Amino acid sequence: MHKPIRFLTSLLLVAAAHNAVAQVPMKPWGKPSLQGNWDFATITPFQRPAAFSEQEFLSPDEVEEYEAAVQAGRAARATVEFDGEHDQSDLDVGYNTFYLDQGTSMSTTMRTSQLIYPENGRMPDMTNRGRETSGYFRALQSRSPQGPEDRNLYDRCILGFNAGPPMRSGAYNNMMKLVQTEDYIVIQTEMVNDHRVIPTDGGPALPNSMRLWKGDSWGEWEGDTFVVTTTNFTHLSRFSGTGENMVLTERFTRVNEDSLEYQWTVEDTEMFDDKFTSVVELTATDADLFEYACHEANYAMPLMLSGARKQEAQGIEDDTWLPSWSR
Amino acid sequence: MKKITLAKPLLLLFLGSLFLLSCSPAPQSTPVAEPVVITESATSAAASQPDLSGIWQAVNTAHWNVEGHTAKKMPVTGVIGAYGGMLAGTSVVVGGEIPYRADALAAREVNQADWANLDPAAKCYVPGIPRQTYMPAPFQILQTDSEIFIAYEWGSNSRSIFMDRPGTSAPLPSWMGYSLGRWERGTLIVDVTSQMTDTWFDAAGNYHSGSLHVEERYRMIDENHIEYQALITDPEVFTEPWTIRMPLYRRIEEDARLLEYKCIEYAEDLLYDHLRQGYDGSKALDGSEPDDNA
Repeated sequence: MHKPIRFLTSLLLVAAAHNAVAQVPMKPWGKPSLQGNWDFATITPFQRPAAFSEQEFLSPDEVEEYEAAVQAGRAARATVEFDGEHDQSDLDVGYNTFYLDQGTSMSTTMRTSQLIYPENGRMPDMTNRGRETSGYFRALQSRSPQGPEDRNLYDRCILGFNAGPPMRSGAYNNMMKLVQTEDYIVIQTEMVNDHRVIPTDGGPALPNSMRLWKGDSWGEWEGDTFVVTTTNFTHLSRFSGTGENMVLTERFTRVNEDSLEYQWTVEDTEMFDDKFTSVVELTATDADLFEYACHEANYAMPLMLSGARKQEAQGIEDDTWLPSWSR
Repeated sequence: MKKITLAKPLLLLFLGSLFLLSCSPAPQSTPVAEPVVITESATSAAASQPDLSGIWQAVNTAHWNVEGHTAKKMPVTGVIGAYGGMLAGTSVVVGGEIPYRADALAAREVNQADWANLDPAAKCYVPGIPRQTYMPAPFQILQTDSEIFIAYEWGSNSRSIFMDRPGTSAPLPSWMGYSLGRWERGTLIVDVTSQMTDTWFDAAGNYHSGSLHVEERYRMIDENHIEYQALITDPEVFTEPWTIRMPLYRRIEEDARLLEYKCIEYAEDLLYDHLRQGYDGSKALDGSEPDDNA
């Protein structure tokens, strides 16, 4: 064998060996174990920043630089003095750095964005209907609430802002538990203490007339990947501007003892010109999920409503009580 | 799938992979081609236990009142007629009545008199254990070696019963408490501690203190029935421990499944009606008119 060929062959063998030593726990019935608690916090941007417009992956050094920059930015915000009137950079919506738990590292995918489709790592354009619908809900969020229904599902504790489906790293509570039997897999999210019980035999799906806040999920194994399809959302569920006819496909692949690849694709041609796909790798954790009893401690809702009534009584119209993104 | 059994090849492969990684460009998100199999074998003890997996439901009126009660008019009968009455039911308390301390019984009567405003479950707060078990909706048990997970349709609540961490305790109280399970002669026994003081046993004002300890027992009577018992111990409120007992029925429909009962949206009128724009009723928490309570 010529030396270059022998060297190439050696490289290929080593590459195969690298893959082979990855250890994937298996269930007794022959499927990879997905069971455990998983941390999906990541500082990998959801959409690709302009600075990386032509770059899909980062080098290890670039990852290190990015993580350091994020940490530095947070530290700077944490030291900003709150003047009680205008400067809320660290206190917007009542959270300061102490309460945020957004992760400190990029996903091990080492990508410049969680979105991998469209290829530019950016959300596809909305359709006219998508823009109109989003405008309606944005206006609703910007006005003084007439009742609790005016506020979004996150403020009402009906859904969690990062609990999906699909799950996506957010300000805090980026944890989920997977419990796996041969017939079902449960996804329990820490955020708003919610769960989906997903059959592994593919169905049957609910009739179109039955709509659920989290949609109707059913799953099946494609080789060693558990694929979950979710439909039948309500018109209020709205993940990133989607509508009730969104079709969500989630793919869970155990990579090794410590990580789980989580990929999802949203298809909603009523609201978006194209589908969009995200992928991150979740990290196994020994930490327990806390019971995040959101509704039980929802002091924000009565305070928002009573504040709105007080402003009405006093003839005041302003939006200073709103978080920055609702103004 | 490959099973790796030799240490030396593993070491060589590891060293080789280190070399390869050091020469690699930025890693890609490449699926693992041939993972090593590490089978999570069921322990013999767990594997020999009854399988509680399935969808179950209590069929009684204990969520209204765990003690015996006759049918009763409810605040909503003026709106939805006969559907709004409280159904009668026999007691699920062994012995019939809860052994309250005298002062605690008086507190129960106060609760009962204003239950619509005070009942935490009416506000869609997590009902806690044991009440979550007999709320009028199915629940699903998923049984694994390390934990038994129960998903409840009512409120989309859930709990983990840890089977592999005896002697541990919760870091802080929670609405559903901290559940540690064990098997004894085919019965699942669950110790539930660290529950919030805010939960009730029913809508009749039966309550507990922060000293509550619940010992649940799940015993399969046959394929489709579980005998459920909850031993309630709370010396601050009760003169002695007492027991709730009821059957749980398997939902045997072919298409049985959990749906959603996100009760928050149905509690918002009770909680927030008086804060709605244009509200002109009394300022009672439940939005009721003064005449309703006359």
